[in-house]
Amino acid sequence: MKKIFSNTNKITTCLLLAAVSLASCKKLITIPANPPTAITQQEQFADSTTTIQAVAGVYAYNAGNGFAYSDGMVTTTTGLSSDELSYAQTNDTQQFYNYTLTPFTANIGTLWTNAYQSIYQTNAVLSGVTNNSGLSTGFQKQIIGEMEVVRSLYYFNLVNLYGDVPLVTSTDYNTTAYIPRTPVATVYHQIIADLGDARKKLTAAYPSAGRARPNLYAATALLAKVNLYQGNWQNAYNEADSVIRLGGYILVQTGLTKVFLDGSTEAIWQLPITQSYSGVADAQRFVPSYTGATPNYQVIAPLLTAFETGDQRLQSWIGSTVISGKTIYYPYKYKNTSPSTTPTEDQMVFRLAEMYLIRAEAAAQLNNLTQALTDVNTIRARAGLAASTANPTSQTAVLNAVMHERQVELFCEWGNRWFDLKRTGAAAAVLGTAKTGFTANAALYPLPQAQIQLDNLLTQNPGY
Amino acid sequence: MYKKYTKTVCTPPGCVKKILLVMKITTIILFVAFMQVSAVGLAQKVTLVQKDATIRQIFKEINKQTGYNIFWSDSQINGDTKLSVDFKNTPLADVLNICLENSELTYSIEDKNVVIKQKEQSFLDNLKDKAAKVLAIPSDINGTVVDSTGNTLPGATIILKSTSFSTNTYTDDKGEFHFKNVTQGKYTLSVTYIGYGKQEKLIETTGKDITIKFVLYNSVSGLDQVQVIAYGTQSKRFSVGSVSTVTAEDIEKQPVDNLLLALQGQAPGLAITATSGIPGSQVLVQIRGQNTLGSAAGLRPYDQPLFIVDGVPFAAGNNNVNQFASLVAAQHTSASLTNTVGISPFGNIDPADIESITILKDADATAIYGTQGANGVILITTKKGKPGATAFDLNVNTSFNSAAHPVQLMNTQQYLQFRKDAFTADGITPTNNSGSFNSYAPDLTVFDQNKYTNWEQVMYGQNTNNTDVHASLSGGTATNTFLISTGYNRSSYNYPGNFADQRYTLHSNMHHSSNDARLTVDLITDFGYEQNNSAGFGGAQDVVLPPNLPDLLGPSGNLLWKYQGFDLTTDQFYSSLQQPTYLQNYNLNTSFNISYKLFAGLTIGANMGYNRNTTNENSQTPGASQNPASFNFNRQANFSTNTAQTLNIEPQINYKKTIGKGILTALVGATYKKATTNSTYLTGQGYSNDNFLGSIDNATSIAAIDGATLYRYNAGFARINYIYDNEFIVNLTGRRDASSKFGPTNQFGNFGSVGAGWIFSEQKFLKNSLPVLSFGKLTGSYGTSGTDNVADYLFQSLFQPIPYIPTFQGVASSAPVNLYNPNFSWPLKKSLNIALDLGFFNDRLLLNATFYRDRETNQLVNIPEPVQTGFNSVLGNLPATVQNQGFEFSVSSTNIKVRNFSWRTNFNLSFNRNKLIAFPNLASSTYASTYVIGQSTSTIYGYQYKDVNPTTGLFEFYKANGTVTYNPNFQLASAGGDKVAIANRDIKYMGGFGNTFTYKQFSLFIFCQFSSQNAPNYLFQAYNSSGLLGFMYNQPTAVLGNYWKTPGDVSQLQRLASSYSSPFIASAGTSAISQVFKFAASSGVYSDDTYLRVKTVSLAYQLPNALLNKVHIKAASVFVNGQNLLTFTNYKVGDPEQPGTYSSFPVQRVVAFGLNLKF
Repeated sequence: MKKIFSNTNKITTCLLLAAVSLASCKKLITIPANPPTAITQQEQFADSTTTIQAVAGVYAYNAGNGFAYSDGMVTTTTGLSSDELSYAQTNDTQQFYNYTLTPFTANIGTLWTNAYQSIYQTNAVLSGVTNNSGLSTGFQKQIIGEMEVVRSLYYFNLVNLYGDVPLVTSTDYNTTAYIPRTPVATVYHQIIADLGDARKKLTAAYPSAGRARPNLYAATALLAKVNLYQGNWQNAYNEADSVIRLGGYILVQTGLTKVFLDGSTEAIWQLPITQSYSGVADAQRFVPSYTGATPNYQVIAPLLTAFETGDQRLQSWIGSTVISGKTIYYPYKYKNTSPSTTPTEDQMVFRLAEMYLIRAEAAAQLNNLTQALTDVNTIRARAGLAASTANPTSQTAVLNAVMHERQVELFCEWGNRWFDLKRTGAAAAVLGTAKTGFTANAALYPLPQAQIQLDNLLTQNPGY
Repeated sequence: MYKKYTKTVCTPPGCVKKILLVMKITTIILFVAFMQVSAVGLAQKVTLVQKDATIRQIFKEINKQTGYNIFWSDSQINGDTKLSVDFKNTPLADVLNICLENSELTYSIEDKNVVIKQKEQSFLDNLKDKAAKVLAIPSDINGTVVDSTGNTLPGATIILKSTSFSTNTYTDDKGEFHFKNVTQGKYTLSVTYIGYGKQEKLIETTGKDITIKFVLYNSVSGLDQVQVIAYGTQSKRFSVGSVSTVTAEDIEKQPVDNLLLALQGQAPGLAITATSGIPGSQVLVQIRGQNTLGSAAGLRPYDQPLFIVDGVPFAAGNNNVNQFASLVAAQHTSASLTNTVGISPFGNIDPADIESITILKDADATAIYGTQGANGVILITTKKGKPGATAFDLNVNTSFNSAAHPVQLMNTQQYLQFRKDAFTADGITPTNNSGSFNSYAPDLTVFDQNKYTNWEQVMYGQNTNNTDVHASLSGGTATNTFLISTGYNRSSYNYPGNFADQRYTLHSNMHHSSNDARLTVDLITDFGYEQNNSAGFGGAQDVVLPPNLPDLLGPSGNLLWKYQGFDLTTDQFYSSLQQPTYLQNYNLNTSFNISYKLFAGLTIGANMGYNRNTTNENSQTPGASQNPASFNFNRQANFSTNTAQTLNIEPQINYKKTIGKGILTALVGATYKKATTNSTYLTGQGYSNDNFLGSIDNATSIAAIDGATLYRYNAGFARINYIYDNEFIVNLTGRRDASSKFGPTNQFGNFGSVGAGWIFSEQKFLKNSLPVLSFGKLTGSYGTSGTDNVADYLFQSLFQPIPYIPTFQGVASSAPVNLYNPNFSWPLKKSLNIALDLGFFNDRLLLNATFYRDRETNQLVNIPEPVQTGFNSVLGNLPATVQNQGFEFSVSSTNIKVRNFSWRTNFNLSFNRNKLIAFPNLASSTYASTYVIGQSTSTIYGYQYKDVNPTTGLFEFYKANGTVTYNPNFQLASAGGDKVAIANRDIKYMGGFGNTFTYKQFSLFIFCQFSSQNAPNYLFQAYNSSGLLGFMYNQPTAVLGNYWKTPGDVSQLQRLASSYSSPFIASAGTSAISQVFKFAASSGVYSDDTYLRVKTVSLAYQLPNALLNKVHIKAASVFVNGQNLLTFTNYKVGDPEQPGTYSSFPVQRVVAFGLNLKF
């Protein structure tokens, strides 16, 4: 037995040695640095030509299926939650209207998820560009500035939808996976810092054709809005004022139907369509798919009745269809469901009219009521309406006039109405009258359940 | 040849030998001259293959085939003596020699007569023998061992035993053995060889040398049958690993189109899950439980084994071959598994071409696959030709299919009342106002109140039939064999429409060995073409449409889009059924094996395999299937091509040597593998005519994406096996692996196993004291394996173009693909396996009991991440350890075996228990709400359901502290919430048992499969889909009478809700809708799911040979095979094999009628 095993050992050793020498040949498992369909981060940011592709990716997502906000979802969900829209389909999107949202509601997850995926993209570009010796300083400044504006826009929407949200400025999952919600004030602090930096880095010139990528004034416009929401009236006034006076933008005067077209003179930032076979997301969502089809999203009475007689916005921006003898209204700011239809529409992010209304509100808050009414009347005149009848000496009346104008000018755009109702404290009164079921807790959407389960430092909003 | 001949003979001392040679030659010449007359007669050939033929039968057959009369008497020879014979064109003389072997008889041939007579001894011989006996001169025993075709069998074990003595030896390279100088006495001489039945002869040595020829026949006992293992074969008798084998015999009785389905219930520890009853659909496979953690919250991953077909790795991860959604992908039951579903890669292999399927389970069997073997290995071996007359085999069958376990849904009357109850509960009056979404109820106000369509009947109520044809031609000589077979299968869908899965296969196998048997070459080629024609999404989920929904088709079969102002677009499922999806899958699997024997015991060789699997798809959205009024009207077509290729080269050296009383076998080899995939996906839009949709050319807009992967792998491996004295077995394996899937610092890994076995039944005291115990073996093994079944290149931070958004302002767009983690490496699985094998009554009853414990640590998973990190997961390792531990039992028994009747039983049963045994920092990980240490990883955590509050009619739950609430906290109880373990999705136990009866020409096989687990019940779907209970969707009749209506009702289900507008109930502080989501995450939607299914019943009748011989048919049988005939279950609504759904395509009941002919 002993002999047999010592023999066996010898043979074992020989065979194993042979096996090991046959294997572990590094050459045989060498593969090219990257698969044909992808490149590494280093290659992606090797020079300005490839870097710009990653930047294009950030915007393409904006306008495509990744970014919920311009995909119309911020507009539709907040439109349902406020007093703008109702929903005709039987699915859980109705919960936005009824204030019966749960942490499981599908679009609650989408609104959250798509924002953070896009924030990651901007963070990835920022880390790829910052201190990259392969890129010129000027190019670095340009891209960093743009990304700061984009990221700020996401966070601005996140805090207004959900309240406190995790603030993530890094691509390292080891540091971002397990963190609590960051207070709204801290997030705003970051936004203001980012936009301040962006303003230093960006110029008045748009970096590419049209107004597809943010310039200095897009950064300023967002800063104006952020300051307005924060109650920094003087800053809000100054920023909006600078866009109006220095930006060179002109309100579209000849026909409201041209406001949302590609090349609109009042556009501060508008995203082109990148998908090959569909129009702007808002048109896809709101315009019925064929004559006689029931619109999914229907304009409800509080908004319809808010339009004064003769308001051209009602004619130009609200569509209607007759179903079983009844007229049903739907948002119609964007009209083309196919990109092949001319003239081409772009998804508006910021436009000059909003800057007038921001300056008006800030002015009213600063008791500059004349300026406030002048701005309101500029917008009214464009809509074919006479000057506001608000008492020019009453701050409350002027503020109400501004808010009314915001309601009918900015309806179904980027959640303006829902956010306005909440930030001015009018939500309970307005929605309590117009609809049923609104509670103070409904002002903030629930965090998606799946996310809380993955990061249990995240807490749920009250009431869910 | 001449040169060689002289060389061999002319060894010194040359002259003596030469004289002897001359004498020998002279003798031969003389002998041949004398025998010339009879030699003519002896040139007659006999062909007869029969088990347990009697001498009487054989003689009769000789007479029939040669015309020779045989004269013999019962006093000389017992005519009922049984022999298993395998004569294929065997010369008459050999036939007679075999028949008369071991007797004192010989024969002579006179004219056309064969006379059997006593052997005569010459006087001198007689005298010499007697003298030898008296002088106690020892004898030599010499012999040869051959198989039934005459091939020598080197390495067979020969044991020479007397009452006081035992020795053994092994046959040499020529199949010869020698025992020198054996003292006179009575001995038992026995021969064993893997895969062949043991043979014993009683001999008596009397001083005369004895020459014996052993002819071994393929083993009847399961213990000695050859089974395929990693890089070789072995018998169960000497195996120390945990290996199960399913043979062609088990497969061919089952009328299934996917060979994986034929494995259901057949092997202990092997779970097979059909994702749907749709022809061509995916079948999931798992061995001994789930080893890895999940990658998405609420979903269970499903580890699948490594598949190897004829030595070529096949269908990595068992991934589906389709890229497009179709009826196959849509109509499945996911049972909350994360696995992709769709068209199975195994749909393109004809089950009739399979010789055996081996399931390797423990480390001893799988460690030699290193980083690939952690989830077990399934070896599929195709059929090979057998030497003998050319045989043609034809098998034809037609089967009739129907839903095995249909669900009863409400009729119109029941449905309308149900809906009215929902509106009553909500306090809403239904209206026909489409603008008022909370009261709009077209089913109650617009549709015909008396119309009834059973949509289930429309969708899959039809019976369909399948056709299967398989023909094979095989034969050859001992050195060259071949097999060519071809098959065709057509399986239709039950859907309204011309949908079917069709398969054409061509399989061939060639084997050659040189005359000196040193060189062997095998070439196997499998080609399969599968065509799956179905349609886009739609269908089965629409069985829940309102039963009074207006007609969707006009009188001419045209699609209707409106009914009295009601828009039918969303319900118009015929629209998607008119959007065809064509899939073509081409599978080429070829394997070339060459080996050369350098010298006795040492063989070098190589396996070279190549697999190419290509799938082409075309899905169309014709204008005819779309609402012509739609502004989005757009003729669209998608095209995809997906090609996966694997090249696998494995040089090997095999060594076999007899050392002392044992046999050493050693294997050393290496693997080089390269696997690539390439796919393209085109979308064409804006076609002007439906007839153009088969081509991309006429699209006005084209979007394209593609994908490519490259995987390289190499390894060296070795195995040493030593069997000492047929009693002790040691098996060592080792492998060093290198894989391109890991980052530069983690590419290499070492794996190994040690196994040992003791055949204790060889102990003399046991043999004497327990004669009924014919076999007893105790084995154990321990070892490691891993897995690298992850995507390529993920150790880098990658960017790639965004699909379908080719450019932004003319600039190509690019986005990150993954989170950056360069450090991941393979997980390590450590497996322990202990087994006891027992054989009783000459191995007629075989029992196996196995205990195993697998622990997988350094888990390699897509670790879920909160999306604030940018992605939903990152590929990485976790320090968590998952244990699967269990028992497996199997029994195989020949209960009765008499002249005309036999009854055999097979039974297997397995228990697996899964447990998370370690997870450092679980509480601060993303799994904190998913897993609990000490619990199964398949445990579902949810709310403990109480019942319906009789006053409010809403679901109530228990909080963790036992109090009752409407609003339990969603955190786990361990984190202060109310979620507790409410179900465990692991299979508690499963198994199968089969009985085979044969009576004369009849054989009957009945196979039952059973399984038990916690599973979602039908309420899981009722409360999870978009159509909640009370909405405008049909529901199973099981809900009738079970929902709350008025205060005071005690009921199982809460008040109905007519829509999402169901009002807030102030007294409860919640709404019915809100409670639904809590109920859907509670114990209320899980039930016990235990079933026993009569899986297969096969009845065959072998037509009488006498009749067939007249029409030159060798054998013929007719058969009826049934699949899924009967189900016994405690699972209430729906199919227990597809839990949690009542609207997916049901498992099919199949009854096949067929005919098998052998020429």
